[in-house]
Amino acid sequence: MARYGMVVDLNRCVGCQTCTIACKSTNDTPPGVQWRRVLDVEQGSFPDVQRLFLVTGCQHCAEPPCVPVCPTGATRQREDGLVTMDYDTCIGCASCAVACPYQARTIVHEQPGYYGEQTVQERKTAHAERRGVANKCTFCVERVDQAAASGLTPGVDPQVTPACAVACITQAIRFGDFADPASEVSRLTATQRSFQMHAELGTNPQIKYLYEVPNSMPGRDADAADRDDERLSDLANPLVGARQGFWDYRAAMNFILGGMSSGLAVVAWLAYLGGALEPSALRGLHVAAAAIMALGLFFVFLKIGRKARFLRVLLRPQSSWMTRETWCVAVFYPAVAASFLWPSATVAALAALAAAGFLLCQARIVYASKGIPAWRAPLMPWLLAATGLLEGTGLLAIALGAGVAGSVAPVAGAGIALAALNAVLWWRYRASARANGIGPLSRRDLGALSRPLHALGHAAPAVLFALALAAGPIAAALAALAGVAAVLAGAWWKLVVITRVCHQQGFALPKLPQRGSGRLASPARVPAGHGYDGVAQAPAARAHR
Amino acid sequence: MESKEHARGGIRRVPIYCNQCVCGPDLFKVQVQDGVALRIEPNFDLEGVHPAGGRVCVKAYGLVQKTYNPNRITRPLKRTNPRKGREHDPGFVPISWDEALDIVAGKLNEIRAKGLKDDAGYPRVAVSFGGGGTPTRYMGTFPAFLAAWRVLDQGYGSGQGTKCFHSEHLYGELWHRAFTVVVDSPYCDYIINFGSNHEASGGVSGVWRQADARARGMKRVQVEPHMSVTGALSAEWVPILPKTDAAFLYALIHCILHERDWRAHCDLPFLKNDTNSPYLVGPHGYFVRDAATGKPLVWDLAASAAKPYDDPSADAALEGRYPVSGYEEGPDAERWEHAGAQARPAFALLREHIAPYTPEWAAAQCDVPAQTIRRIADEFVAHARVGATIEIEGKVLPHRPVGLMLGKGVNNGWGGYQAMWGRTMLACLVGALEVPGSTIGTKVRINRPADNRLKSVRHGGDGFLDYPFNSTAKSEWQSQPHIRNGYKTLVPLAANSPWSAALGPAHLPWLFQHKAPKPWPRQSVPDMWICYRTNPAISSWNAPEVAKRIAEFPFTLAFGYTIDESNWMADVILPDANDIESYQLSRIGGTGSAEQMWRHQGWALRQPAVAPVGECRDMSDIATALAQRTGLLTDYNAAINRGAAGIALSGEGYDFTLDPNIAHSAREVWDAVAKAASFETSGGEHTHDIDWWSEHGFMIRPFPQLDWYLYPSMKEAGLRFEMPYQERIRRHGEQLERRLHETGIAWWDAQLKEYEALPAYFKFPDIWTGYARELGRDPAEFPLWALTSRSMQYSWGANVGLPLIREVALNVAGHDGIIINRATARALGIADGDAVVLESASGSTRGRATLREGIRPDTVLLIGQFDHWATPVAKDFGLGSLNSVTDLALSLTDATGSGADIMRVKLRKATAAEKAARGAA
Repeated sequence: MARYGMVVDLNRCVGCQTCTIACKSTNDTPPGVQWRRVLDVEQGSFPDVQRLFLVTGCQHCAEPPCVPVCPTGATRQREDGLVTMDYDTCIGCASCAVACPYQARTIVHEQPGYYGEQTVQERKTAHAERRGVANKCTFCVERVDQAAASGLTPGVDPQVTPACAVACITQAIRFGDFADPASEVSRLTATQRSFQMHAELGTNPQIKYLYEVPNSMPGRDADAADRDDERLSDLANPLVGARQGFWDYRAAMNFILGGMSSGLAVVAWLAYLGGALEPSALRGLHVAAAAIMALGLFFVFLKIGRKARFLRVLLRPQSSWMTRETWCVAVFYPAVAASFLWPSATVAALAALAAAGFLLCQARIVYASKGIPAWRAPLMPWLLAATGLLEGTGLLAIALGAGVAGSVAPVAGAGIALAALNAVLWWRYRASARANGIGPLSRRDLGALSRPLHALGHAAPAVLFALALAAGPIAAALAALAGVAAVLAGAWWKLVVITRVCHQQGFALPKLPQRGSGRLASPARVPAGHGYDGVAQAPAARAHR
Repeated sequence: MESKEHARGGIRRVPIYCNQCVCGPDLFKVQVQDGVALRIEPNFDLEGVHPAGGRVCVKAYGLVQKTYNPNRITRPLKRTNPRKGREHDPGFVPISWDEALDIVAGKLNEIRAKGLKDDAGYPRVAVSFGGGGTPTRYMGTFPAFLAAWRVLDQGYGSGQGTKCFHSEHLYGELWHRAFTVVVDSPYCDYIINFGSNHEASGGVSGVWRQADARARGMKRVQVEPHMSVTGALSAEWVPILPKTDAAFLYALIHCILHERDWRAHCDLPFLKNDTNSPYLVGPHGYFVRDAATGKPLVWDLAASAAKPYDDPSADAALEGRYPVSGYEEGPDAERWEHAGAQARPAFALLREHIAPYTPEWAAAQCDVPAQTIRRIADEFVAHARVGATIEIEGKVLPHRPVGLMLGKGVNNGWGGYQAMWGRTMLACLVGALEVPGSTIGTKVRINRPADNRLKSVRHGGDGFLDYPFNSTAKSEWQSQPHIRNGYKTLVPLAANSPWSAALGPAHLPWLFQHKAPKPWPRQSVPDMWICYRTNPAISSWNAPEVAKRIAEFPFTLAFGYTIDESNWMADVILPDANDIESYQLSRIGGTGSAEQMWRHQGWALRQPAVAPVGECRDMSDIATALAQRTGLLTDYNAAINRGAAGIALSGEGYDFTLDPNIAHSAREVWDAVAKAASFETSGGEHTHDIDWWSEHGFMIRPFPQLDWYLYPSMKEAGLRFEMPYQERIRRHGEQLERRLHETGIAWWDAQLKEYEALPAYFKFPDIWTGYARELGRDPAEFPLWALTSRSMQYSWGANVGLPLIREVALNVAGHDGIIINRATARALGIADGDAVVLESASGSTRGRATLREGIRPDTVLLIGQFDHWATPVAKDFGLGSLNSVTDLALSLTDATGSGADIMRVKLRKATAAEKAARGAA
């Protein structure tokens, strides 16, 4: 079976944007959408400067992080390696967009023309099916798929080769079958050294970047100075990822309201199991949790690009945490309803377990967003779960303060423990941020967030819960206050993390061709045996053509 | 008519050529459905033929949006506001074609009745047709109309002044029939490139070839003040001080001739036999000639005697000093007889001339370390492989895999002559001129025949190529300029081909219209100025000033695409059909600008893939209508029959001539051209009509690779390259000085100093640094150099109104602002994206700061030409333009009549008021 991919030669690309515009022409992409984008990268400092052009776009990863997160199956991987989009199935949830570490996906909700109103050509080439759903480079799948019927070979015959590759005026972009050792892409990667971008993420991308000239100039390692915080804080540097814009406050509201509500459902059930809460109170709190969760889900509904298709979110339980989250919802609500019709410990447990599942799923949804380094950090799911439980505890404390019958002390005790756990998790999350690939821009945002979060979200609830344990008559009020602090802090950091600490994975150049200026320039090289005095010999003998 | 084999899905694929820059034509196909153009794609029918595999560049893909741009002018427009100027709304109103053509023809008939020349002796009709001759690939049969009209002033140039590779055009043609000079990159291993932004300007073929060469291991050293796209793709970037490239070149020559064993490393047979190095120069600085034959003498080492240069027995000396008899011929046939006078080979004078130009000297001029210059000189010589040969198509030729390129700003304006001479001399030292792997020319525009530079190899005396200098002899010199730029009067090298008017000092008419020097004939404004595919009010030096001059023209006919800054001043705007709406045939292949090195040649068709939008009309039909209305139809048709549409319609074995007395449609005209073109291409075997061409799009035949190189033709003709010694230049300079001084003209004296036999280096940056004084300003006010650089996305494309182009161009640094060195910006408190103001002594411009490391701290860069104020879409870019800070000035004009894109400026952050004003504007 074929395994299609591309080879991009960094030594050839001149950044002319012909591939970009040929892609736009062939694929009728709307204003601002570039499935094939070529970055103008500058490294070093005057006069030791290197500039190169970096072809980017969907890498059609062998292990594509966008595929498992898709809740509908709209994004799939074919046997020949192409990662495809089914526009008619996609709901536009953007899970794939934040999961992609290559900034390859876009969602366009409106399709204006380049001049405002569409021209006659724009109307004829408009794709209504692509509105509000995820879009990305398809490797011109329609062309590739003509190969079978036409007897032509992708990568050889231009008619069945992606438009960018056949439009390229330097042959910097080559397409073909990596499974065929005789293909040009196989030959190039066999004879020249290449790298895969962000290989450390395990995506096994199928665009391979050539970075050296065989027999004359080996490539070189990236310069550490080009990866320092100053360079990676400069949004004018095309290697630096900007904040994602796919998930806004509406998505954040789901994590805020969903996290606290599922936490409440779980914590209330645990309190009930521990004898600190009456069954009726548990039922009431589960209803409250269901209401809060519903509000969160409503916000998500507002966010998705194709609202009428929202039920398709249920289609991919085998891999999508968003699907699983929805299935948890589908268990939680009937369980809560059933707890009124058939009150029993089992039904209550079912609701609580569904809520716990929901919380877990939310944590994993964020964690699965491999395109956002701050979200894919290993401690992120633990933080979200722990915060949900702390928020749930906080809501329970508020409920007790508002007159719901129950014991404050165990709740306060749990609150102290959870606040401490959250503090530790957050501290460790931040401390390990750099090591986990979170860039300086996100780290700066995290830094600004940390001190107030520790104060409001961790210290204040812990202290207030501790005071509640000691303070008899006003214990419930103090605990409720602690709860307010915990809930507000939890909501706040999730809002900030989703909408601010959300810089996309930038682009990386672990290896570069040898050129540039000053100390970055290629060394002198002349044909071996030239017999000329005073000239350094070439590093390697090179056969003349 | 579609290419039927590719019709599928209701989509037709129509083959068309693209010539939106000087590098084409390249070919593409446009997808059409239901009469609407949908998409552009490469024409892969040429995959094995076209040097870049049938590809077209980014600009071609904008043609669909260009067609349906809602800002496009789709009906003739008439001005209603008689007041002209940037500040006056022209009040254009749509009119019918009949009315529009009647107005224009009425004006033309009125002019014709008055006389084709005005009282000042200048043509009453002046024309400007875009850059680089590309419009002739588009303007259909309009050249036939111009031929029928007969007397025109084309001296306003292409509408941007002599911003071309000006010294390269003139000296390149003089020395090796190289109107444009390239590197034979498929056979080249080492290139020193002085500021030629080849990867942005080399066209798809040039870019493709050099990418292949890089992949093969070719090393390119890029010498330029900012790291261009080409610098990016080079093995080394040498950030040189602007306008000191000649010093760098001289130091390279110095290294080879004085610091290394030149006898061991130079190509001595080439120097002796293929250049004027051994020619003996007498005490007056002219060649010593044989009294009997008049031929320059060389010193035969074997016989210890002087012999004519072409004596095959001579083993010519390159060094020494020899007593010779004969004579020198100076200016105006002055003659100095010699008997035993001391004469020296030109090469010996060269060594003496170049002795002071040490790497240490150059380091101080260029701000480049001396050891870098030495190393590059050594690399150059080592890579040259002197003595190596290569077989091309069965013929063994020298193989010299070293190339030298000069970019705009280096090969035009002051210093252009020196850089050209330095480049050509350096190539000659190792025999790396016009042979495989070396520096070669691509086409001729001054010499004839225009379509075959090898056939232009003719004896011009003294063993050199002939050259149609404008005479400076007393009896022949044209003392009265016949057109407004006076090229025949001022620039002997501009010659007198159909291109020469545009190769004269084309910015001077704009300058002289405002203020002419004295003495000089009073400059009248033309009664009618015709403007086609050019926007001088944006693209000229001191563009705001040029806009004012355009406003002074009494009647301007513009062929317009959208409203722009130049047609803002038009009286009538006629909307012509565009690239995918109209007919024309164009030659393709052979060799052409910027490494268009084909192994085929032939013709390609442009055709209406879709009907013209609105009332846009095929340019050929417009030309025919004007010919009819002006009573010139017979002459016009006769011009077409003679070849004004690209090929003569009759010749040996064929006759497709048009009836000269009736009007023919565009399709009929191009059908005849198509038949003639197919007859020529097939050697008389086929006569294909326009329907055949519409389906196939092109027709080709082989073009020998040997024809890429001039060297075999030179050898065959027994000719030498006229290097290093420029006797003819010196003589013309001295004669011109006499002629001008006889007329009382002293304002060209600085230019006359350039006519040196061995050009000396002058501290060229001082010309621009000191210019502020001329305007009463202190040079210290302007501490920075401002330069420009090519944008492949925009250049030549007339596509600034296309948001699609804007979108993709923004991916390339500099397309959204002024490139400033980061450290310089920091020192001035400027952050990335800040609004900034650039001011020169003569103008100012604004933009946003783009901070980069790949630029000298004393230099800022403005890509492309923007600062639009009328063109829809572009006027909202907020981009500055170098053209707003440069100036038109005699002191900035070199002897060839060229200036350069460079100015001294100061940079500052925009004030809040300036930002607000810009926002409001």
